[in-house]
Amino acid sequence: MKLLVTASQIRGLPVVTIRGGEDVAEVRDVIYSPEAGRLVGMTLNKRGFFSGRRREVLPADAVHAIGRHAVMIVDDSSLTARDDAPDDVGRPATGRNVIGNDVLTEGGRSLGVVRDLALLVGSTGEVVGYQIEKPTGGQGYIPLPAQVAVSGAALVVPDVTEEFVRDDLVGLGAAVDDFRARLGLA
Amino acid sequence: MSDSFRRAAGRKVISRASARVLGAVHDLLVDAEQERIAAVIIGRGRKAQLVDWAQLSGFGPDAVMVSDEGALRPPSDDRERAAADGKLGLVGKRTLTERGNEVGTLEDITFDPETGVVEMLRIGDREIPAGSLLGSGPYAVVIDAGQEPPP
Repeated sequence: MKLLVTASQIRGLPVVTIRGGEDVAEVRDVIYSPEAGRLVGMTLNKRGFFSGRRREVLPADAVHAIGRHAVMIVDDSSLTARDDAPDDVGRPATGRNVIGNDVLTEGGRSLGVVRDLALLVGSTGEVVGYQIEKPTGGQGYIPLPAQVAVSGAALVVPDVTEEFVRDDLVGLGAAVDDFRARLGLA
Repeated sequence: MSDSFRRAAGRKVISRASARVLGAVHDLLVDAEQERIAAVIIGRGRKAQLVDWAQLSGFGPDAVMVSDEGALRPPSDDRERAAADGKLGLVGKRTLTERGNEVGTLEDITFDPETGVVEMLRIGDREIPAGSLLGSGPYAVVIDAGQEPPP
């Protein structure tokens, strides 16, 4: 059983220092690498009512943990100027966004369209599944192997994925290990 | 016999030399790393003053005794100024684990009045050892992931 959150649930979360107990920023958006199946970082807003964009980014390497209520960092030296960040964080490539991509099995069946990412709670940004809009309408969740082929228009998943489509995050959390075991990844 | 932050709040602070009342305990400043009380904050806001724990002659059940008025000092850094402004109060603050999950409100903290060593944190109706405290500040108290209830 794994606890999961979606990327949209992470947006707006406070970024809190462990030692200082301070909410130094909040998450504006996540920067995702579909090839690696994990977040590479986050863009940030200032905290508070009149919040605007912060110039710094938060590389995933500097994240201590992503939780349900906060993103934890050791201290605010983890916030990195865009120019100093690794290129995939500071200048993420456009056109790699998986949101809106069609999910196709290797056998050529469409499971739906990607709407959101499902991440492991407590990790530094491991993406273990996608929220999809099914061809028949309605939401579903699919688990991911560690890596998938992705083109910017479609992504290809093993045929067995079809058996692991779930209705909610809790179901997906329970299915991830079984799915990976079936693929011989666990 | 343990004392607690809630019980100590508002307790009189008295000069042993003059027997004068110097003020009342507003808060206790904790050094999370050392797991002990670093200073007593007397009063609040611009008039707030601190007494380092080492300067106390006794943290008693009815009064906190200091040697004399000279033991009181103004806040000396940003953290102490924030504490004097009431921004760092631990009691009543949200508690996060280092995994970023909220586990409740910190209701009270017990400590040894002889040594200033912090003993237990009461979060909701659970008591956890003070060694779990990793840090604290204006937004949250942070404790280690081992204290997270299982899902």
